[in-house]
Amino acid sequence: MTLEAFAPSRALSIGVELELQLVSTHDYDLVPVAEDLLRALSGTELPGEVKPEMTCSMIELSTGICEDHDMVRAQLESLRDALAAAARKLNIGICGGGTHAFQDWGERRIFDGPRFHYLSDLYGYLAKQFTVFGQHVHIGCPGPDIALYLLHGLSRYIPHLIALSASSPFVQGRDTGFESARLNSVFAFPLSGRAPFVETWSEFERYFGKMTDTGVVSSMKDFYWDIRPKPEYGTIEIRVMDTPLTVQRAAAVAAYIQTLARYLMIERPFRLAEDDYLVYTFNRFQACRFGYAGVYVHPETHDHIPIGDEIAASFERIEQHAIELGTDAVLAQLLSDVRGGRNDARWLRERHASGAPLAEVVMAQCARWTQGGEM
Amino acid sequence: MDLSVWPDWPLRLGALFHVGLALVLTAVAGEACRRAGLPRVSGYAAAGLLLGPLLLGWFDASALVTYRGVLDLCLVLLLFELGIRLDLRWFGANPWVLATSLAEIAFSFLLTFFALWAIGSGTVLALAIAAVAVGTSPIVVMRVATEQRASGQLTDRLLALCALNVAASVILLKLLVGGLHGTHGGGLVALLHPLYLLVGSIIAGVLIAAAYAALRKIVDPASEQGLVAIVALMLVATAVLTSLRLPVVLAPLIGGALIKWFDPRPHLWPTQFGSVGGILVIVAFMLAGSMSSMGQIAAGAALAGVAILARGLGKLAGVLTFGTRSGLDRRKSIALGVALMPLSVLALLQVEDVRLLYPEFGERLQPVVLGMTLVLGLLGAIGTRWALVYSREARTGDTP
Repeated sequence: MTLEAFAPSRALSIGVELELQLVSTHDYDLVPVAEDLLRALSGTELPGEVKPEMTCSMIELSTGICEDHDMVRAQLESLRDALAAAARKLNIGICGGGTHAFQDWGERRIFDGPRFHYLSDLYGYLAKQFTVFGQHVHIGCPGPDIALYLLHGLSRYIPHLIALSASSPFVQGRDTGFESARLNSVFAFPLSGRAPFVETWSEFERYFGKMTDTGVVSSMKDFYWDIRPKPEYGTIEIRVMDTPLTVQRAAAVAAYIQTLARYLMIERPFRLAEDDYLVYTFNRFQACRFGYAGVYVHPETHDHIPIGDEIAASFERIEQHAIELGTDAVLAQLLSDVRGGRNDARWLRERHASGAPLAEVVMAQCARWTQGGEM
Repeated sequence: MDLSVWPDWPLRLGALFHVGLALVLTAVAGEACRRAGLPRVSGYAAAGLLLGPLLLGWFDASALVTYRGVLDLCLVLLLFELGIRLDLRWFGANPWVLATSLAEIAFSFLLTFFALWAIGSGTVLALAIAAVAVGTSPIVVMRVATEQRASGQLTDRLLALCALNVAASVILLKLLVGGLHGTHGGGLVALLHPLYLLVGSIIAGVLIAAAYAALRKIVDPASEQGLVAIVALMLVATAVLTSLRLPVVLAPLIGGALIKWFDPRPHLWPTQFGSVGGILVIVAFMLAGSMSSMGQIAAGAALAGVAILARGLGKLAGVLTFGTRSGLDRRKSIALGVALMPLSVLALLQVEDVRLLYPEFGERLQPVVLGMTLVLGLLGAIGTRWALVYSREARTGDTP
């Protein structure tokens, strides 16, 4: 199977996908109700789409193609409200967060669909352990080569995005010590990690051809890279973020990515090099483990600075582009969170530390998701 | 040499021996069922109904009255838990769930009544059997759901509908007994007694909820200490309810629902009463079985058969009427109807209560309900389990 052609799309258009948790209001454990929820939603006018995911306790919502932050946020809010209304009818809870705090992965059930069963057969227990919840952001690219520049350029900002969106400190009933433990489940997959360092689409097609010849992959879907091109949409897709606890934060993270993309596409601020990736997995681990407090090693200067400081510095670099895109206000809010050390992982830990059992933390997560509120 | 240091011969084994032996055999029967791929509860029901009279049959009725407390405690614990799972907010957000429940209650009552009345059972007997038929066994349903670790829409609705139809069944039968007071001469009693039972149960429910809320501030229900506190609270509640001659079923149900209403936090205790619940359930089946003798069943077989069919149709028709509007598909609606079939310990106790007041009428009612219980205690559990597995809400081992 050959790689499909890269369909050009409007530069800097954005689309956001959020994977969400479906929980019982009795014990706040995950509950297999995806089919019932989809049925309850059928016939509702939605600005985007709601789709099943790997296991029956997950659901994915996605916006349409959006222009800017406000449009993303408005669409996410109306999707959230439609889902919340359906959830009330079924007496279930819906929430964000990269992992469920105390679910037992062995109890998960694979959604009834050929692709999900294929993946379950292939990956075995990994498929059930993959009951983790991420935010994916698509950025439109006018051509394939610029898409690859953007892909490699954004790789430097993966730690930033992880620290800003981190919301999975708890796994299987324990505090993992990680800000984003979700990504540890993703790394278990053989085709996860980063895309190969190729700078032109023809090189990328050659790489894809070689990989399909090995019989290891048959489509782009088989790659679980942190950032991957999506040729049929004409986008690159950034997949490292945990699903935040509110749609506001999800929209803000998308706005940050859009602003970074504009900065990278227009200024082309650095020459890409294979050696940029020497520090990639180290930086990513630091962000997962320590969040803002992790160490960021600059790929060129090899300076070591806290991730939080590097995020703040990045906001200065892209300020002009933020003003152009109208994302400056929302980025200012994110910046104040970074300065205050606030993210969703910390919010969850604070709830638990104040004495709430994990089931009550999940209940608070549901309320936070449904009611929105500040980021 | 009249020192009593040597055993008497033949050995004089106390009642404890027989109770213990029956318990062991019941537990073994449950395990046998599990290995045969059936719900354990079916084994308990079978063993309880067969072994109960066999091993405990020679006790006189007064001895059994003392064991009644154990049965009542078991019911109070289970119904309190069931009440906490009855989230009244849900009915506000989705009135069709409540409509499903009302339809299911109405259809099973009316169909059972008319079917029995049509074959000439007599009006009062038909009404009484229909009232008992409205209820679904909370013990069987909750045990099977726990065994299967079930969760999902069908499970939630099954438990909610069970809670409501149990309450309806108890109230209907009490009203009917009130009517019997009327025909037996106590005009005022006929009016006041059901009123006392209802108002008393509500007040007791409020008190249970308040006591639980106060306890929860001190101990965490998820801890071992908390579990002990809750069981102790229910023990007190059982004693008070019994002494007030209030039905043991309504107050804990109301109390549980009130707690969930005022405090929507999760209320969980270790493994849903785990082993305590397991033993109590076995005891409940055994004692319930011992109150009845198999010989009676033949007398009511025909009426029981008709009642089982009519009740089954009523429950299915009820859930199918509003099932899809409430958000289930047709497949799951049918499964829900099947899951509601079990009838067991509570039904026998309801009849026993009637019999204590009106022995003559009770003698006619008992064989029919006993027959229904025998069939629906065994097969009902299998049906409930099938429904949970069929709708893919069971979480035991490798799910299909």
